[in-house]
Amino acid sequence: MGVELRYGLRRALHSLRAPPTWQQRSCVASSHRTSRPSKAFSTSTSHRQEPFTAAPEINLSAENNIPILKRIRVVPASPSYFSGKPAFTDDLLALQALLRKYQTLPVVETGHAPRIAWRTFESYKSFLGSEPIKASKYQRLVAILHRLNHIHPSLMPQEVKDAMERYKREINPFANVAKPKPVDEWGRAMGLGRRKTSTARAWLVEGEGEVLVNGGSLAQYFGRLHDRESAVWALKATQRLDKYNVFALVRGGGVTGQAEALTLAVAKALLIHEPGLKPALRRAGCITRDPRKVERKKPGHLKARKMPTWVKR
Amino acid sequence: MIIRQLALRQGRRSLAPQWRSARRWMSSEVDSISSSMQNSLNETHSIESMLNSLPGERVQPIDDETHQTADTENIGTVFAEFKRQRELQKPLGAIVTPHYEPHTLVTNPPRPSDISLELLLASQAHMGHSTSLWNPGNARYIFGIRDGIHIISLDQTAAHLRRAARVVTAVAERAGLILFVGTRPGQDRAVVKAAELSGGCHLFDRWVAGGITNGTQILGRGKVKVVDEFDQEVPGFEEQLVERASVKPDLVVCLNPMENYVLLHECALNNIPTIGIIDTNANPLWVTYPIPANDDSLRCVQVICGILGRAGEEGKTRRLAAAQAGNITFTPADGFVMPGEEKTEQQKLPRVLKLGASIEELEKQDAMGNRPLKKDPLPRNFIEGEVRERVPRFHDAKKDL
Repeated sequence: MGVELRYGLRRALHSLRAPPTWQQRSCVASSHRTSRPSKAFSTSTSHRQEPFTAAPEINLSAENNIPILKRIRVVPASPSYFSGKPAFTDDLLALQALLRKYQTLPVVETGHAPRIAWRTFESYKSFLGSEPIKASKYQRLVAILHRLNHIHPSLMPQEVKDAMERYKREINPFANVAKPKPVDEWGRAMGLGRRKTSTARAWLVEGEGEVLVNGGSLAQYFGRLHDRESAVWALKATQRLDKYNVFALVRGGGVTGQAEALTLAVAKALLIHEPGLKPALRRAGCITRDPRKVERKKPGHLKARKMPTWVKR
Repeated sequence: MIIRQLALRQGRRSLAPQWRSARRWMSSEVDSISSSMQNSLNETHSIESMLNSLPGERVQPIDDETHQTADTENIGTVFAEFKRQRELQKPLGAIVTPHYEPHTLVTNPPRPSDISLELLLASQAHMGHSTSLWNPGNARYIFGIRDGIHIISLDQTAAHLRRAARVVTAVAERAGLILFVGTRPGQDRAVVKAAELSGGCHLFDRWVAGGITNGTQILGRGKVKVVDEFDQEVPGFEEQLVERASVKPDLVVCLNPMENYVLLHECALNNIPTIGIIDTNANPLWVTYPIPANDDSLRCVQVICGILGRAGEEGKTRRLAAAQAGNITFTPADGFVMPGEEKTEQQKLPRVLKLGASIEELEKQDAMGNRPLKKDPLPRNFIEGEVRERVPRFHDAKKDL
């Protein structure tokens, strides 16, 4: 502003003192010309006159006289500057204020709010930059978010939605739901199960309880009674043994592994027919994949963990 | 939910003292007692049967995503109606006499003009600590002893509070940076509000040791900005901000000096004036402007912090009004050049003087307007157990800027 004013004043002074330039002289000349009686009433400007705008009015208020360097000071960008973690403190205060504002809105029952995956502690830390925040401090923030999320969805204010958006993970893991597998045109449901190094595929159709494993009957394929039982344990535990026929293909591993891979495969196929059986099957232990595998042998060890006998010398 | 409410409502009626029955009991009529007992028994049975007849099932949600149920579908309209009813019923009933509403101390704190002995007494500012815990430096602030604790003289409190408020106003008017510190649980809201009012900073968590004496390391990451007299950010100075030292407060208001020894010590080393609430067990020499009061009462702390925040607000308003009229009430930051211009040779010289600098060097620095970093130590006012009159040293750190 000061610069502009100074420039304007200088131009004004210059125009007062300086002898007329060729442009001004030509203006004067043209005005002489227009004052001739033949063109006395013409109001149009000559084509030689360039259009211009006059200098702005002089602002006499005092602030423009003070140069910028004489009226600046350095202040912290955030009022939480001295806490050492200003961005986090500002976030916390903003969320606390938001919760205070919408405290009286109706809430859904505990645990009935839509599931949201909040940023992990590490992700939030990198999001803020390099502020020394502790996990317990971030937990305070998440607790407020959790409470805000419990505001009844039909009354959730837009302000809260926007605020929560900032703390959500980019990918919502709860939105990643497995596609339900349908029963095919012949009434078959396929399930895949694994255990140790065995893989089993089982097809379930409604029937009278016939079981074929790799082309043979259950008794032919599994010599041990225990293995036969575990192969069809999902049907037995839910008393569906006489309602379905099983056709299974098993590959790899040993007898126990194959039998227990079948348990999982049959259970998964059964779930396609009757999804309501899931709690019962879970209680029967048919849904969880057993992750245990043979542990690899390590160098310096005799087996996976066994060490050679210690010799004194 | 419904069951609990019903039980509460009905149970309260059945359990409420029945004066008629009490009177009958006083009249020692045996028949009436037994009949009233029968009545209440009947009532209890009727409630019981009613509760048993209610279905105990929960309403099933109809939408898994929003968890709406058949009866919560129109909760928006129900809630709007509830609010409308509440507004309608607000003016009904008895007129409540003015009373203490705790949240108002934070949302609408008192002003320095509201300081009165009644306010201080009501907020328990006079309660000191057990006489055995006292610091003799506080002798002049103590009114007497009652039930084994010291009672702080409230006229002293009021006078010191008024003086502190004037200091805060003056510093805010000169665009000083005021830091409000209250690190005890529950003090955070008062501290944040005071900082918001006065345009200062707040600290309610923990003072990071070295924030002033080693600011470059501790607060170097914190962002700072260049503002003009209207508190509007002025762009273009970002490059020059990088090489500047961290910002230091010009005044520190500490609500709990007992826990903030490190902060107050750092302030004293850097000649930063401090205001503190001094209870009977605290050392009044730790702060420049003591306010003798009870620092354990949240109400008292909120009153004092609120008053100082309001004082800061007044100073800020005055400063902005002066700026509007074209007057600059503060000393501008030194060492800046216009964006795009080169620094002069004098400005390039280091601002910090090394130990053993010659007289010529000192004079040269003084001529350039650079203040030497090392200040005179604080005067020792506490001599042989006797408390001397403390000379107000308002903002002498700013004088030689």
